[in-house]
Amino acid sequence: MQRVRIQKTATAGVALAAVAVLAACSSSGSGSGSSSSSPKASSSSSAAAAKLSGTLNASGSTFQTTFQQAAIQAFKAEQPGLTVNYGGGGSGKGRTDLSSGVVNFAGSDSPIPAKEASNFKGKTILYFPVVIGPIALSYNLSGVSNLKLDGPTIAKIFQGEIKTWSDPAIKALNPSAKLPSTAITVARRSDSSGTTQNFSQFLVDAAPGVWKLGTSSTINWPSGTRGGSGNGGVDSIVKSTPGAIGYVDFSDAKASNLSMASVKNQSGAFIAPSASAASAAASQATVKSDLTFSAIWAPGASSYPVTYQSWDLVNAAQSSSTTTANLKGYLGYLLGDGQKLLPELNYAPLPANIDKMAIAQLSKIGSGAAAAPSSASS
Amino acid sequence: MAATTQRPVVDLREPASWRKTKNQIMTGLMVLAMLIIIVPLVFVLYTVISKGAGIISGQFLTAAIPPNVLPANLGGMGPAVVGTLEITALASVIAIPLGVLGAIYLNEYGKKNVLARIIGFMADVMTGVPSIVMGLFIFSIFTLHFGFSGLGGALALACLMLPLIIRSSQEMLSLVPDALREGSYALGASRARVTVTVVLPTAIGGIVSGCLLAVARAAGETAPLLFTILTVTSTNTNVFSGANTALPAQIFTNATSPYNGAQARAWGAALTLIVIAFILLVGARIITARFTRVGR
Repeated sequence: MQRVRIQKTATAGVALAAVAVLAACSSSGSGSGSSSSSPKASSSSSAAAAKLSGTLNASGSTFQTTFQQAAIQAFKAEQPGLTVNYGGGGSGKGRTDLSSGVVNFAGSDSPIPAKEASNFKGKTILYFPVVIGPIALSYNLSGVSNLKLDGPTIAKIFQGEIKTWSDPAIKALNPSAKLPSTAITVARRSDSSGTTQNFSQFLVDAAPGVWKLGTSSTINWPSGTRGGSGNGGVDSIVKSTPGAIGYVDFSDAKASNLSMASVKNQSGAFIAPSASAASAAASQATVKSDLTFSAIWAPGASSYPVTYQSWDLVNAAQSSSTTTANLKGYLGYLLGDGQKLLPELNYAPLPANIDKMAIAQLSKIGSGAAAAPSSASS
Repeated sequence: MAATTQRPVVDLREPASWRKTKNQIMTGLMVLAMLIIIVPLVFVLYTVISKGAGIISGQFLTAAIPPNVLPANLGGMGPAVVGTLEITALASVIAIPLGVLGAIYLNEYGKKNVLARIIGFMADVMTGVPSIVMGLFIFSIFTLHFGFSGLGGALALACLMLPLIIRSSQEMLSLVPDALREGSYALGASRARVTVTVVLPTAIGGIVSGCLLAVARAAGETAPLLFTILTVTSTNTNVFSGANTALPAQIFTNATSPYNGAQARAWGAALTLIVIAFILLVGARIITARFTRVGR
């Protein structure tokens, strides 16, 4: 049954092909990828050598959902005894569920914010970066195919200071484009969102002095902007409203066939959102010892400046050795062979250095009992 | 005699033609009102059937839920169908006996005493509680301690069904003529015996259809499940432990996904859910008709 479905998938879609490749990799027991990926593959297969069984529950970031679903299905072929459940709900819900102990790990697009830190008092939370992706500025403007925008212009548009597409500021960036005098409709998230958090961080960094609304998972948007729930909600506003612009996750925008603007990065180049431009940005990011980092406004000529990331958050202290082994097995898979699924899904894989650090951190799962006091004091 | 016949005849009736006109106007308005009510229903049914019928197949109803990116012809909603059936069934097992017994107490025993009035008032208040609040309530008293499970979802749905069942059953019991009760008392039956052998059989048709309406309502609820079952993609046949899934929750997650395949599966799941609710409602009609005939 499983085999049949995998084969069907492979014939039907790209993503399926990736799953099938993974299944083939795992059955032969050797990594077939490039030389850079072979150490990852071997480390994940050694973690997976033991047969795992049980259930892992997780919730959180909807940015990760597509990746998690694909990875869960591919992982099932490797470890049929282990059931992994990933329910979405948003980064905020994932962190709440993790702090109340109802899930084994949580997906989150941002590190634990200061106002939620008290929920995790006395616990050591390990951050495992798993996926990187661009936030696309998608727009609905017939006849304009390659819009170029920079930080200050985007900030003014989203603050309602630039009201029409024929505004001189936009014209200056797009001298050859035929910009209509259509009014701009700003589409933004109505729910608390990691996408909003990272997008507004970009505006803080890229448009200092211009952007006045700060950075948070919810922004006090000016009136006249239109709110949509989830990336899908913003997608459908942009799709159905001529003159609309909104920020959406790249893989969502791609699946919805939206036009996306190129954004000016730190070195002055206009970069279109893509998985490779996101990888370029992430490889420039400074990684802290807890593996948190930010690829927003990263330097580098080919970096896409609105690149964000998502972590899986895990308690370092685990009460059961089975759960510890399961977490190591599944997260090891996400960081190993699972990374090869990402390009097909329009996400970017982790840069090799971050991936290596994350794999090294796997050994800390289940060792948190001793580490907990030190984190409480820090 | 002659005086009466000579009194002028006063016709208190309005002119026949005006009455007829009024009748036609009002009939026309009522037909219009009916059409206005039917239009959204027909539109919803048409949209769901036209977009969902194509994907429904034996495979769709049984196969596992695939990743959202996969095209519509792969995978299905099997886990959600299983989850909806088992969670709704468990919720019914919890709520129906409790609700019907509560209604019997309210109507046959409590009447107007303080406890009965409190219970009746609370049932009315519960009817007005938004379903998502029921979900949060069960999340805080059950899910936080025992983890995600179908049982948590069933408890939340049972909270939602309980007031509906109490109120509809009580209504049915109060329709039973007192003459029937008095006749049984006159023959020396106890109150319990009167309730079991006379009142319940008379009202059972209405009670059953009220319960099935509550079940159909619960089967379509998303909000109480969001916090309690986690909404996973694998089948879980154990309703008492482990994360579960259900059709309404899957419609929510799939419909908000940007991928065409996932959206098609959401339409299919919506149609499946409507069909399940429809079967329950038709069942309610049949049962009402049959039991009512037997009862009288």
